[in-house]
Amino acid sequence: MEDILKKIGDLVAEGEEDEAVEAVREALKQGIEPLKVLTDGAGKGMDAVSEQYNAGEAFLPELVLAGDAMTAIMKIVFESMDEKTAAETKEGVVVIGQAKGDVHDIGKNICSALLAVNGFEVHDLGIDVPVKKFIEEAESVNADFILMSTLLTTSLPYLSDTLQYIKDTGHRDQYYFCVGGGPVTPEFAEKIGANGWSRTAFDCVDMCKQLVKGHKAEDGQFVMVDSEA
Amino acid sequence: MNNYKVQLILHYLDKAFEGPVIPMKEWDTKIIPKTVKGILKKYNLQGTLDMENPINQDPELADRFFQAGWELALELGLYCEDTERVIKVTEEELLECMRNYQSCNILGEGQDQVVMYPRKPESPIVPLVAASLGIVCSEKNYLPLVQGIVKYNKLVDVLHGPTLATVFGHAIRSGTPYETLMGNYESELKKEALWRVGRPGMACTGVAGAVTEYGHLGGAPAVAGRGNVTMSLLPVELKCTFSNFHRILQGLNYGHKLRVGGFSYIGGYAGPPEGAALCNVANDLLISTIMQADYVSSYVYDIQLFGNCGRKAVWANSIATQAVSRNTGFMRNKIVNETGGPCTEMFMYEAAVGCMNHCVSGGSKTTQPRSAGGRYTDYITPMEAWWCGDVFKSCAGMTLKDANEVAKKILPKYEKKLGFPDKGLPVTECFDLDNQVPLENYRELYTRVRNELIDIGLPLNKVYGEWYADRMAVRKNYSIIG
Repeated sequence: MEDILKKIGDLVAEGEEDEAVEAVREALKQGIEPLKVLTDGAGKGMDAVSEQYNAGEAFLPELVLAGDAMTAIMKIVFESMDEKTAAETKEGVVVIGQAKGDVHDIGKNICSALLAVNGFEVHDLGIDVPVKKFIEEAESVNADFILMSTLLTTSLPYLSDTLQYIKDTGHRDQYYFCVGGGPVTPEFAEKIGANGWSRTAFDCVDMCKQLVKGHKAEDGQFVMVDSEA
Repeated sequence: MNNYKVQLILHYLDKAFEGPVIPMKEWDTKIIPKTVKGILKKYNLQGTLDMENPINQDPELADRFFQAGWELALELGLYCEDTERVIKVTEEELLECMRNYQSCNILGEGQDQVVMYPRKPESPIVPLVAASLGIVCSEKNYLPLVQGIVKYNKLVDVLHGPTLATVFGHAIRSGTPYETLMGNYESELKKEALWRVGRPGMACTGVAGAVTEYGHLGGAPAVAGRGNVTMSLLPVELKCTFSNFHRILQGLNYGHKLRVGGFSYIGGYAGPPEGAALCNVANDLLISTIMQADYVSSYVYDIQLFGNCGRKAVWANSIATQAVSRNTGFMRNKIVNETGGPCTEMFMYEAAVGCMNHCVSGGSKTTQPRSAGGRYTDYITPMEAWWCGDVFKSCAGMTLKDANEVAKKILPKYEKKLGFPDKGLPVTECFDLDNQVPLENYRELYTRVRNELIDIGLPLNKVYGEWYADRMAVRKNYSIIG
């Protein structure tokens, strides 16, 4: 059992999605508990790639590929669990995108990959995302989070526009709305009524983990994670 | 309109519709990293990062990076996000671009005209300084701030300018009519500032607040022709969008020079510092050829440090700049992304290392400053621009060896704080915009740090003194083609 769990972890860290999925199927076939496959197998791999990235030994492509492998594995593992266990195990469903007018997506891509690597179900809308698209996608995938990022001051207003749209359409209590990116300060985030702000991609993962414990998004609820403070 | 350039741009734009189709994710996560890794290995460039010598001392290594970058440019080409196709170039096209490249860029007009030349490493030719980068400032501060930035004609040659926080009190949303209006408003404010300081012919390098083509559409007519410049920035290394083509063609419509930017990210798709440097070289070649840039605005950025003043990025910028300077006549605008804010020692140290590095490595121009990483509104004063001008110009003629020794002494003064930089002060707390002079706190800091760095070996005390005469003498015999 240890061998196959180690193999799964290694394959996740190497971003080998197809082989990792195959190994997970094999592990489940052998009767290994789905939760164990996730935590002691894939989880070890995601820890390894996160550490390598933090140490400057792995880079964005490795993160993205490991995130893809993790996403594929989670789908299979959750399918093999009963509904209650799956719901308890899931970290949360995230819709993430770069604000309208902004095509700088490196920071957002790192967040997206790290969230996937850390067990979140991530739906990445990419760059230059119109306000309405965030809500449509969040509704469609039953999201817990809407995360928006921008590097441009001229795209900042779209962050508050999106939150206002969520409120105006009566969805405020359905999603945690969090923001980040170069010119996005915690003061700005709090002022527009966001639920969270984080400085780095790793902070973003911590922020989402903290918020998801709250279970229900509320106006005025605000979590700030800043590893540099 | 420059018909020759237009024909070439159309030729490459056609390729954006005809080149090989590659899904963007495959390009990002497989093709770029795999190709970069393979070429780094082929040219034995893996592990060449030298943390002990942040400014490269090995010309042979720089040349190897150039050869490798040349191969990368040919192997990959430039990816067009809109069509998900690759704009491939041939070796003959790269060579033709190098053969036809101009010997200088004339910017501005009349008494305010300046000339940009290609520069080799250690060149005695004094490079140009544009100020500032697009840091956000309040509408009410915009005019006096720009007046201050361009006040000294020996420190700042070209105006780029800060970014407006609002247009007539309204938030500016990119890609909307607000941005179109802002483009014109910013251009008119900059013209007014130049008149007020008596430098009406100074070149403007595009609309600082224009993040899409709309801002350029709005702003370009107000500053048409006369050696002005249109800026077009690629989203990431080796990738372009139609927006880039919109801007350069529109720039040509208005008789502008073309400044096209392409940045490489340490920790991004290109991977380690060596990979980012390699992509930066390929970027310079591809942008000059495909976008017909009159000069390239390129640099390496470190994602984890939100800037490029750490050792890895200083080294990567050094090797990439030297590689292209030694092997082509291309002119490049180089940018230092400081993280410290106005009125901090940290900003002055970061800018000193970055500007010195770009100058001695062969940059023809810099655009500065990025005080406080450009994160906060009104965290910019004219002093940072003056400081960068002082350093960048003073270092012309300095040797790579001397610059490296100076960098090694300055880096330890700030590098541990790069993860949590000093925010500094907003303009109103360290600069008198009414009288265009620094407040006492900034004046004391500036003088103290300047003297400290002169003692370390930064040649600031020689800029308009004995070195100038020496440089003029050297310049007479200096070949800009090399």
